[in-house]
Amino acid sequence: MKRRSFLMASALMASTFAVPVAGQAATPDDQLVIATNMSSMRGLDPNELNQLESAEIVANLYERLIVLSADDMTKPQPGIAESWKVSDDGKTFTFKIRSGVTFHSGNPLTAKDVEWSLRRLVKLGLAPSVDLRQWGFTDKNVDELIKATDDTTVALQTPEVWNPNLILFSLASFSTSILDSKLLAENEKNGDMGREFLQTNDAGSGPYSLKTWRVNDLLISDAFKDYWQGVPKMRRVILRHMPESSGQRLQLEAGDVDVATRLSSTDLAAIEAGGKAEIQKTPGFGFYYLALNQKDEILSNPKVREAFRYLIDYDGLANTVMKYYGIKQQTVIPGGLPGALNETPYKLDIDKAKQLLAEAGYPSGFSKVYYATPVTPEYEVAQSLQANAAKVGIKLDLQGGDHIGKFRNREFEIFSARTGERLPDPHAVLASYATNPNNADDAKLAGLIAWRSAWEVPKSIQDMVTAAAHETDQQKRADLYAKINKAYLEASPALVTSFQRTDAKAVRKEVTGYVGHSTWLTRWDTVSKGE
Amino acid sequence: MSISQTSAIAPKRAKAALGGLRKVAASFAVILTTLLGLLVITFVVGRMVPADPVIAVIGDQADHDTYERVYKEMGLDQPLYVQFATYLGNVAQLNFGQSHVTKNPVASDLARVFPATLELATLATIIGAVFGIPLGIISAVRKGTWVDHLARVVGLLGHSTPIFWLGTIVILVFYAKFSLIPGSGRLDIYNEGLVEGPTNSILIDAVLASEWEVFWDALLHVAAPALILGYAAMAYLSRMSRSFMLEQLRQEYVLTAKAKGLGQRAIVWRHAFRNIRVQLLTIVALAYCGLLDGTVLIETVFAWPGLGQYLTSALFFADMNAVLGSVLLIGIISIAINLLSDLTYRFLDPRTR
Repeated sequence: MKRRSFLMASALMASTFAVPVAGQAATPDDQLVIATNMSSMRGLDPNELNQLESAEIVANLYERLIVLSADDMTKPQPGIAESWKVSDDGKTFTFKIRSGVTFHSGNPLTAKDVEWSLRRLVKLGLAPSVDLRQWGFTDKNVDELIKATDDTTVALQTPEVWNPNLILFSLASFSTSILDSKLLAENEKNGDMGREFLQTNDAGSGPYSLKTWRVNDLLISDAFKDYWQGVPKMRRVILRHMPESSGQRLQLEAGDVDVATRLSSTDLAAIEAGGKAEIQKTPGFGFYYLALNQKDEILSNPKVREAFRYLIDYDGLANTVMKYYGIKQQTVIPGGLPGALNETPYKLDIDKAKQLLAEAGYPSGFSKVYYATPVTPEYEVAQSLQANAAKVGIKLDLQGGDHIGKFRNREFEIFSARTGERLPDPHAVLASYATNPNNADDAKLAGLIAWRSAWEVPKSIQDMVTAAAHETDQQKRADLYAKINKAYLEASPALVTSFQRTDAKAVRKEVTGYVGHSTWLTRWDTVSKGE
Repeated sequence: MSISQTSAIAPKRAKAALGGLRKVAASFAVILTTLLGLLVITFVVGRMVPADPVIAVIGDQADHDTYERVYKEMGLDQPLYVQFATYLGNVAQLNFGQSHVTKNPVASDLARVFPATLELATLATIIGAVFGIPLGIISAVRKGTWVDHLARVVGLLGHSTPIFWLGTIVILVFYAKFSLIPGSGRLDIYNEGLVEGPTNSILIDAVLASEWEVFWDALLHVAAPALILGYAAMAYLSRMSRSFMLEQLRQEYVLTAKAKGLGQRAIVWRHAFRNIRVQLLTIVALAYCGLLDGTVLIETVFAWPGLGQYLTSALFFADMNAVLGSVLLIGIISIAINLLSDLTYRFLDPRTR
């Protein structure tokens, strides 16, 4: 009896699970489904986050004074600011705020909101605050320097004269999003300027408003009916957390998701071959680099540094591991920006490296500890270098793991990783790669990778970088950058750049208008679906 | 008369009640000490993990000032024991702190991720027990026959097949190739957001809200991962119940029963099975505990937003509040299941009363 009921129950259970589901594999025509990896997201507060996936969401929940379109990043276009003027001395920016824009809460967007939001970024002083702080804004001076002069005008004064593009580009960054100051005032807790509220809510005016957010699971955003540029075509945009690359690929191919954003190169290649989706490689403003600690006697020898440049298999990697992750780039200004060079003078050359090592006085090589992040493609790149270095007698003890803290504290010998800047201007990369105003250990300029590598950047280069940032004439500036780029290459830098990073996404063919953005501001309101 | 009787019994009862109270207090103290020990170890180990929680929050390109500011904000400038004491103080007030990664209160994160794991683990345990125990018993009874051999093969496969591999294959074949099962996650996007709370177990919530379509969808989504986990549990449970049963069948009372002319069914189910119930309960409880810790591999493969994934990603980013909260929860659940099975023993085995 008992046994029979057991069997009955088993049979019932089995039959429940065996019923096939309808193969409805297609996302609705008016919804966009994006597969992503949410595990590195850090909340949705524009003044706090510092990370690609969150930035894309914030880009659509909020708006900024300036817009940089994905196809031409170098031209600032009007966003919340209808127009702007730069004073003759180059220090005062006056923005005319668009009227008729409302927040998702229904509150009108005014100049006061702009003032409050920009001040909040600087005052909170969290990671993205560098977007304004680097131009000299501090929590002490920001109330003086950023002011709403009436309901539709904001005046922003810079402490020094900078190239106006640098300021305008910064005002297009996700961090300078305009927040609903009235709503946040109502939801303030212990003077936190709405930080707690913003972790799970939005206070924006963007084309989409946040409906549901479950961390590491799901985010749903709905089209904002009163959006000033018209209601977006996609009624709803859904982001799903799918940590597994192969899972993303299968769902993309089955049509359960429209866009897959975190794919391994194997899966990218398979998708490309499958023909159901396009692979978008969005160039980012950063590099895969190798850092040689200049506090190390051997590594500080310019010939040794030069030798490393001949030990990287640029072409081999470009066609395999780096196919989707990078573009060969040996200079320090990312492609597409003023001063960029197309030259790639270095290639894998074991004999040349051997000769340079002999000239440096290390004909039989040496041993060093090499830290690399154990993720694709960084680790494969590191292994390739390790193999080539062995051929000239350099024994690299490759150690995977999280060594970024040691790199920041200069406690390493050789380190490799990648960077990504959010300013479509050579200055952002150069500030980190080519300036190091104080090379002392206690200067703690840990934000600069040149300092982390303890590299005394030649003063002439540093001076040019500073001059170019302040130069207001665009042509002179471009020439200066070209010069810097050449000088950097010739300096045998302690930071060896090999590839400009690209971020690869797969987008199903019926989806149009989803365009990867180099400064992480991919828009959803331009997306439509159809044949 | 009745009055004098009760008054005579009363002090005795009070004594017994006091003794019971003392027992309860003692076991309570044991539980608290266990949990405290768990927290201490987790805290110390967590601080030795090389991952830097500050960099996990601010990104590796941030400058030194930002680093210092966030470092202080997170309370990391305090000595370790102060940090721990602060944490304990908060926990005593049922405040588990905020996760640095998700930015939510840890308690609300756990209230969201744990039911997802609970759903999966409960179903898997049921599947494992319902199929595994009868299979084990049958193969013990029919020892050496083809049934036993088949059960052994099935069990061995379940034991030795890596779960993530099986998960990937199942998705590849049944989802990608034949579209028989839905994709990963807990629900199709059509059904997202239709039921919210109160238990965060979609199956239960859907029933409460009478959203039958959502319930069906959730059931289809949970089926594949639950069956895979259930298969592994079944393999373990069937092997164990087989050996428990074999041991019973060797006992002399079985011989006596046989001599008495009792049928095999009666011997197996009425006598032998009764005697292994306590052991079975123990291993089922153990298997359930193991599954509740979160099964990060299957959760990753099926994009199942459960405790395993939550805890792992918290560990990666040195998100101590989240790690401690999860460990505490796992500790409490394990203790609760143990207590529960202890209580059930008393019903099943008079000797333990």
